[in-house]
Amino acid sequence: MEFSDITAFLPILLKGALITVQITIGALLLSTVLGLLLALMKLSPVRALSFTAGTFINVVRGLPIIVQLFYIYFVLPELGIQLSAFQASIIGLGVAYSAYQAENFRAGIEAIEAGQIEAARSIGMKSRLIMRRVVLPQAIRIALPPYGNTAVMILKDSSLASTITVAEMTRAGQLIAASTFQNTTVYTLVALLYLCLSLPLIFGVNRLERYFGKSAKGGKA
Amino acid sequence: MININAIHKSFGDIEVLKGVSLTVAKGEVVCLIGPSGSGKSTVLRCINGLESYEQGSITINDRQVDVASKEINDLRTHVGMVFQRFNLFPHRTVLENVMEGPVFVKNEPRDTARANAVALLEKVGLGDKVDAYPQQLSGGQQQRVAIARALAMQPEAILFDEPTSALDPELVGDVLTVMRDLANEGMTMVVVTHEMGFAKEVADRVCFLYGGQIVESGDAHKLLTQPSHERTQDFLRRVLNH
Repeated sequence: MEFSDITAFLPILLKGALITVQITIGALLLSTVLGLLLALMKLSPVRALSFTAGTFINVVRGLPIIVQLFYIYFVLPELGIQLSAFQASIIGLGVAYSAYQAENFRAGIEAIEAGQIEAARSIGMKSRLIMRRVVLPQAIRIALPPYGNTAVMILKDSSLASTITVAEMTRAGQLIAASTFQNTTVYTLVALLYLCLSLPLIFGVNRLERYFGKSAKGGKA
Repeated sequence: MININAIHKSFGDIEVLKGVSLTVAKGEVVCLIGPSGSGKSTVLRCINGLESYEQGSITINDRQVDVASKEINDLRTHVGMVFQRFNLFPHRTVLENVMEGPVFVKNEPRDTARANAVALLEKVGLGDKVDAYPQQLSGGQQQRVAIARALAMQPEAILFDEPTSALDPELVGDVLTVMRDLANEGMTMVVVTHEMGFAKEVADRVCFLYGGQIVESGDAHKLLTQPSHERTQDFLRRVLNH
């Protein structure tokens, strides 16, 4: 391992890291919006909505993410939907993780005691207002730790985008390693860069957890 | 003001209310007593539409209580409720708990709502706890916050569902004092309770429920000291001799 190798590889890997971060943020946002929607659908008293959400969640959880990526990138074009590899990776990871996010949010929402909702109804609050003022603020705190873990998993699984030709960090590493045979240097750098991205995220979630833990210790009043 | 006419209610195959009728006049304090499973809490929960009922009718000031109607939310603002387990919002301070209804349901200006909330909290003896979170308070204090939260909506009546049953014995007194004061001010109250002393002293009328029916009702003092029905006698013997 030579220092000059590191200085030569690092800029290329950092370019890949930028794409890794973009995919992660994009997929996280998509999975958050979709996941919340799915969670609310699944908890809906309307059978058709909860059934649809439940089926979607199970199907998505039952498929390997890499197969979902292949499907979106290789099969959708045959149905006339053209996506760039970058778009396909965000959509694929976002949809795949929306199922896990939905379960995170649902657990958070269901952790709120029924008594609090009754108390809110007894002062005349409507369902929507109860959701906004009573349920969601607490559910978000409860769902935050699993949400953070999901974010870390999306970051790591963004490496799957390498299989559909996105030049994110893992793919960048593969390309350098293939042409230089410096496997040790390249993959050590790649691993360290992933840790640089994931560890702050993990610490950040831990801090937020402690911060929220002060003002509300969850369910029991 | 509250008019319950022969309501029936079932949970699945089990009929828990078998034709309960009860009228509560303005300013009256009515206590519902009876063994657990007799349906007394269910009656209370039907009054503000937390439970639906299958037959009969309930009216509040001649307005029909119907869980499915849009009016139910407005009706609930006129009838407060205090729960056995307090059910305060743990992510909001004591003051915010009390302000929640006035600000977000009645759209009162924050300043007015805050002033009223502080006054109510002082009234229930918690003027120094406005910024505390519920979990920092004792059960008795939490229940008094819950009473203040109900009062903040300026209801015409308040329903109490076993308000002291979840409290340590030494904390019961403070809550009962607040309730007694409310009764003396002329608040209409329906109270499900096991506190026979409170019922005897404060209630205008006591109803004894057994098996989903009102078996006996009448003047509080008379019913609790000289019950005429065998079931009532049996129940009171058991509650008072332990």
